[in-house]
Amino acid sequence: MSDRLRPLLVVAAVLVLVLGVVPAVLGAFDRSYLYQVANLALIFVLLAASMHLVTGVAGLLQLGHAAFYGVGAYTAALLATDAGLSFGWTLPLAGLGAAFVAVLVALPTMRLVSIYFAVATLGIGQMLYLVMLNWVPVTKGPNGILITSGLTLFGYDLSRPASAYFVVAVVTLASLWVIHRLSHSYYGNALRSLREDDQCADAMGLDTVRLKIESFAVSGFFAGIAGALWAHTAGYISPADFSFPQSILILAMVVVGGLGSLPGAVIGALVLILLPEVLRPVGDFRNIIVGGVLFFSILLMPKGIIGEVSALDLVRRQLGGAWRGEGTKAGSEVGWR
Amino acid sequence: MNRRDLLIGAGLAALVASGGAALAQQPVVKIGYQLPLTGNTAQYGQDFKNAAEIALAKFNASGKPFKVEIVFEDSRSDAKEGIAIARKFVDDKQIVGVLGDFTSGVSMASAQVYKSAGMPQLSQTASHPDYAKISEWQFRNITTQAQEGPYNADWMADQGFKKIAVIAEQTDWGQTVVSNFADEVKTKGGEVVFSEFFNRGLADFRPIITKIAREKPDAIYTGFFYEDGAQFLKQMKQLGLTIPVYSTSAAYNQKLIELAGADAEGMHLTATFLPSNPAPQVQEFVAAWKEKTGQAEPGQFPAQAYDAVNIMLAALEKAWPEPTREKVRDALAATKDFPGVTGDTTFDADREPAKKLTKAVVKGGQFVAVSN
Amino acid sequence: MAGTNPAMTLESVGLENHWHESRGLFGPNLPVPMDYYLQQLAIGLSLGMVYALMAIGFTLIFGVLNVVNFAHGEVYTVGAFAGLVVISAFAPPLIVVLLVVVAVGALAGVGLERIAFKPFRRFSDEASLKSRAMREATLMSSLAVSIVVREAVEIGFGSQFQTVPLDRLLNSPISLGPVTIVSGDVIILVVAALMLGGLQYVLKRTNVGLSIRAVSSNPLGAKYVGINTDRTIIWTFAVGSMMGAAAGILVGLYYGAIFPSMGFIPGIKAFVAMVMGGLSSIPGAVICALILGFSESIATIFVPSVWADMVAYGFLIVTLIFFPRGIFGGARDRV
Repeated sequence: MSDRLRPLLVVAAVLVLVLGVVPAVLGAFDRSYLYQVANLALIFVLLAASMHLVTGVAGLLQLGHAAFYGVGAYTAALLATDAGLSFGWTLPLAGLGAAFVAVLVALPTMRLVSIYFAVATLGIGQMLYLVMLNWVPVTKGPNGILITSGLTLFGYDLSRPASAYFVVAVVTLASLWVIHRLSHSYYGNALRSLREDDQCADAMGLDTVRLKIESFAVSGFFAGIAGALWAHTAGYISPADFSFPQSILILAMVVVGGLGSLPGAVIGALVLILLPEVLRPVGDFRNIIVGGVLFFSILLMPKGIIGEVSALDLVRRQLGGAWRGEGTKAGSEVGWR
Repeated sequence: MNRRDLLIGAGLAALVASGGAALAQQPVVKIGYQLPLTGNTAQYGQDFKNAAEIALAKFNASGKPFKVEIVFEDSRSDAKEGIAIARKFVDDKQIVGVLGDFTSGVSMASAQVYKSAGMPQLSQTASHPDYAKISEWQFRNITTQAQEGPYNADWMADQGFKKIAVIAEQTDWGQTVVSNFADEVKTKGGEVVFSEFFNRGLADFRPIITKIAREKPDAIYTGFFYEDGAQFLKQMKQLGLTIPVYSTSAAYNQKLIELAGADAEGMHLTATFLPSNPAPQVQEFVAAWKEKTGQAEPGQFPAQAYDAVNIMLAALEKAWPEPTREKVRDALAATKDFPGVTGDTTFDADREPAKKLTKAVVKGGQFVAVSN
Repeated sequence: MAGTNPAMTLESVGLENHWHESRGLFGPNLPVPMDYYLQQLAIGLSLGMVYALMAIGFTLIFGVLNVVNFAHGEVYTVGAFAGLVVISAFAPPLIVVLLVVVAVGALAGVGLERIAFKPFRRFSDEASLKSRAMREATLMSSLAVSIVVREAVEIGFGSQFQTVPLDRLLNSPISLGPVTIVSGDVIILVVAALMLGGLQYVLKRTNVGLSIRAVSSNPLGAKYVGINTDRTIIWTFAVGSMMGAAAGILVGLYYGAIFPSMGFIPGIKAFVAMVMGGLSSIPGAVICALILGFSESIATIFVPSVWADMVAYGFLIVTLIFFPRGIFGGARDRV
């Protein structure tokens, strides 16, 4: 019974925390700055989670993730300005646009393994960035795009940071839930088998190519969603927002948090977005401190803050013998042995 | 070295200020300044900060009824951080005006916040054609290419150049450099035989230079900042090309000559600020700059920042007592013939400045004003 | 003013003269652009050599540890700054500058290995050696070190282009028939050839090289046969970083551009070249670096230069589609 309750409790706790406690605390300070930082953090939580699916779960090192984020943002921005669509339309379409591009990217690169795959995604990420920067007639090139319509949903203007927070939070939480369900299921186990040994997975009868393309598409979809959130909350996008250093930033979030762990990716994103803001009073040295924190966290926790392996150890210790039992709900919840 | 001194100095100043304020009971008005103090563009932000501190020290020492405090925040030229800073400034009820950012992209993104919250924003460098159009709260203190492009085109036409090659950096600003210039060249009966962009920080310009050489232009018009400019000029000389080069005020920096040496000789450009200008405010700024930074003469951008800060301070003074964001905005909008180091500044109805441009040429390792 | 008579200005253009000499194929008024293509090829060659200088050290380090060393670009930057400091303080001849820079590079490499890589080799069991998490941990630790170093250099020197004494630049033009190159091209070519040759000699003919190759092909096996893997890895980092630092100062003087983020773009290009070359082959990486350089300069002939990188990356993707293990990496098993 408690096994069944536990995930429900976790979901309830997260919901209360993100939609209740955080806004209440932020509201008490009455500072739009805090909401802004919270929105940004949530957008990057979503980005890190989407990369987690490909890099953490399926084990495909991705060095061009910011490009899908950018494709989503540009799709949303162009639809909002040229076609005059509202947020309710641009959000899913941005996701689909990014997923479409992700499939196109995946098709020629699926044969590649490990570092060859990583460098191919780097190359494609750079190419997409160059398209955003130089295809002036469509993307307006370096001029970027102003999204004057703001964040409107069902006719309500939700552009204020406090109301935008709830939109961003709901979209992010829903996406996290989907990613969680995907990665903690038989499907997720199949993806993990790619990470551990894709030749073996192939021999066991899994359609590895299809799995890779699907995971890429889903990851691209959520990166695109994050892009739409950024475009509508920022009101102005330009190619610099989606350059290679952003890909590295997202990768750092996933690795620092712990490869293969969704809570790890979330925590990594929070740390790397909030830390530079918290350190503002330090002045010019703050980025050195960020680098130092990055270094020591990886030094002291080489498997990440909540790596999948250490998370498993935790569960194992908590559940003791139950873990090894057949068909235990809690065991299959983590789903990896 | 210099920066550490600044930090210590700023810390001391804060201590003194907190002690002094209690003693003197002088009211303090705050303005925000968002600028890149770290990252790839930090050199520009650090210059702005120095210029702003010079302007501020002078203002606070001049016996005004109130003191001004500038809150500097580092944006790293990253839109994410710029927006967060904008929110921070907007939240601080004491802040009645904002300066910055450096790049147009970050300025544009932050402008969305200032627009919705009603905060006057004066950028010293944002050159995006749509920047000042965002709302009535955006001002800029930089001549746009709508003014500079035709001016240069006329200048080159007067010199008898018909076939002109144009290159500019691939930024929103570079786009306006090319479009505004090319339009005027056409109306003057000239021809733009080559027009291309390059990515900022390009190490090797030689493929483009070779391509330009093939078109055999009479002259080259360029839109670059001093670092790319120095690379371009050096590599042009390496390839043995001696076509005259014209550029915009963005390239105006003593560092250009320092980096390119003799290869910069003969480059023509427009400027609104000349350190050799005998006007007292210019000489005062140049002297203060040399003393504060230990560097050579300030370039175009620090001068623009210095003026932007002074314009903002003058607006605060006009809005005194009880300055509000609205009053500061109105005071900024009413700025007329403000005597700055970059010439007299007047904001037109679109909150764009009109400035007098000076023609200059690099001669003997110096920027020298010329009449034609 | 000189500008008043455009015709006169054109006469004095060295490159221009060649256009006047050769005409024909395209009608009487159009020059045969053969020289133009040759000039672009020469530029492509020197661009490629610049990437190759960086790629040599990068590939050496990757080969041994099988991890991407994100801090290699910072070694390159540190080398350039060290050289600049030496030049402005003592103004010694170039060869002395190079020696000092190489020493600094070796120190930087050993320090980097000690800080960012050694701590992650504390578990030497097979599972940890193969563990993806451990490998990606060093990816991050080297990234963190590179952030700290870059920011520190920025705070120490500022982000702007450093002023390099103009007489020290390696850019005096040399005319080779229709093509103009500069002195730096020759120096970089010679240094790259020396590096490549020296490295091949060390790898193939010395004991250190033998152990480097052993660790590179099987670290556990190397350990079992009594090779001091730790020392070998330190050696590799020292040698690889020496080359990175030397590349930094040479390219810095070649372009006259020394600034804290100077290692970023060559770092990406070296990474791409290494992977195209097939990871294990240093000559392969050099050849692919040359291919990248050529493809950039040749692309500029046909498309606006902002798209030149598109061609280079397109080339990468096409290469990987047809050679999924890189052009020269066919023999190596999956890593």
